Amino acid sequence: MKKTLGRIYILIIMLFLYLPILTLIVLSFNDVKSMSVWGGFSLHWYAELFQSRLMMGAIVNTFSIAILASLIATVVGTLAVLGMAAMKPRTQNVLLGFNNIPMLNADIVTGIALMLFFLMIGAPRGYMTILFSHATFCIPYVILSVRPRVNKNTDRLYEAALDLGASEKYAFCKIVLPELQPGIISGFLLSFTMSVDDFIITYFTRGAGINTISTLIYSEVKIGIRPSLFALSTIIFVVALVVLLIVNIRQDRADRLKEVKAAY
Amino acid sequence: MGELIRLEGIVKSFDDTVVLNGIDLSVDENEFVTLLGPSGCGKTTTLRIIAGFEKPDQGRVYFEGKDITDMPANQRPVNTVFQNYALFPHMSVGENIAFSLRVKNRPEDEIKKKVANALKLVNLKGFENRRIDQLSGGQQQRIAMARAIVNEPRVLLLDEPLGALDLKLRQEMEYELVRLKKELGITFIYITHDQEEALTMSDKVVVMNEGYIQQEGTPQQIYDEPVNAFVADFIGDSNILSGQMVDEKVVRIDGVDYPCIDGREEGFPPRRRVDVVIRPEDIDIVPYGKGQWNGTIISKLFIGVHYEMLVQSEHGKVEWLLQNYDQHDVGEKIGMKVDPENIQIMHKPKSEAESAIELDL
Repeated sequence: MKKTLGRIYILIIMLFLYLPILTLIVLSFNDVKSMSVWGGFSLHWYAELFQSRLMMGAIVNTFSIAILASLIATVVGTLAVLGMAAMKPRTQNVLLGFNNIPMLNADIVTGIALMLFFLMIGAPRGYMTILFSHATFCIPYVILSVRPRVNKNTDRLYEAALDLGASEKYAFCKIVLPELQPGIISGFLLSFTMSVDDFIITYFTRGAGINTISTLIYSEVKIGIRPSLFALSTIIFVVALVVLLIVNIRQDRADRLKEVKAAY
Repeated sequence: MGELIRLEGIVKSFDDTVVLNGIDLSVDENEFVTLLGPSGCGKTTTLRIIAGFEKPDQGRVYFEGKDITDMPANQRPVNTVFQNYALFPHMSVGENIAFSLRVKNRPEDEIKKKVANALKLVNLKGFENRRIDQLSGGQQQRIAMARAIVNEPRVLLLDEPLGALDLKLRQEMEYELVRLKKELGITFIYITHDQEEALTMSDKVVVMNEGYIQQEGTPQQIYDEPVNAFVADFIGDSNILSGQMVDEKVVRIDGVDYPCIDGREEGFPPRRRVDVVIRPEDIDIVPYGKGQWNGTIISKLFIGVHYEMLVQSEHGKVEWLLQNYDQHDVGEKIGMKVDPENIQIMHKPKSEAESAIELDL
């Protein structure tokens, strides 16, 4: 009895989480442009998606901005962490406090502030302003994920490398960087996700004629949403799902390998 | 055996705290020198100055007579075994040991040979491909040693290398270290807060406290002739008592006069107030009334090899710590005797720093 109740509970949670997405996926294969009538199976919204220049442009924009902004944020953030590590603890804490503010700040405030800033300096709004904005709001996340990797232990390893005759550059590249790597990678991935996900800040900092997936969908909603956008959402969902599965399976395998080795 | 390293008037502070107050130290070639002291005494900072990780505010560091105070750490002919080993976690055991050779771009076959050799020296033959997290604490300790000696440094600096190991392993490693030192024929500068480690392994012990060197000498000298109450208390158990010289080579402690071997010549004229150290194992138990003074046993502990007893003196308020192989019961009245050469007379502390230590005791 208890068991069945538990199962039903989990089922309800799953339905809440995945039923909307399932609806979206089903509708993306619907032959007619209706959200309530099933007109038979069809792939023609997918065909339309790949033929539409507007949509392909938005996809390219979204992902190129995400990759570039994450790269910039990762480099800037990592350097910031290394610089902070050399400061006094009190200064570090103050800086970390400042680092947290942009993350807690409402996106709409950040978006409007960035827009006003671009207007003030007279920057033509477009691809570059979106890129700059995304890099900006990603930096705090990189700092937050890299910083825990820089600690007493890293200092000691660095000293050990110097002690063994390594130059400062060699010690940094061969010892410190590999130590920071997990933090850097998760900072990059976090930035990438935040950037792909963002709508509000992009909306305020883009110019006319440039769209990312999210702003495109938003403008489509006003004139009646097309099922090819369902197709696009479905593809993004499936890609994310596959990536997640691969990461999990690989992690699982690595863990098992470690266990086997430890036992041996 | 010439002088290899010399520190001259080293002063170092962090922010407003003075850590080293003018350290002068000379280390000979092939010597096993131990810097001994409680945490915060400045021993680690001294080691870091020799390694080149810290710059002294004042004073110079010499290596074979050459001033190396401003030489960066990666050019000094010394290698360090770090307290928590600081092994590179993303590298295999072999790569860890090969690190200093890779830095120097040595040919691959030479690296292989030297790594295998270093592993053999620390009794971990064939461990090249193990991962660091697969090793036990003792094994990691040996790998850290192997990594530090593979490059054949002139001096090996060891920063509490046995601190993280359990007692049995630690005693085993003490023998290993002495053996290694013999085989390598290089200078060891060793840091510890463990007086037993210091006494067993070293040629020379340097006792430090509050940024001062309190005493340096052979383990025997440090143990038998501590120069002040701090050293006496830090090295082994002891009875440290306040006394006064009453005659030439006679000291009065707790109302009883004892003959001793220190007098005017050693700087202890009559009427001078002094500190006296008597080691608990140097007090002999004799039948009541037959000794120099009498007392009652008030507590007894079996320590393993011997019994440790607290004895309340009949003459004053002093409680004596005794160590003896024979068993005596609590409440028993005994007589006690001590040979004049086992009474160590010391000057009362003078400096502020030293009086501060007294309070801690």
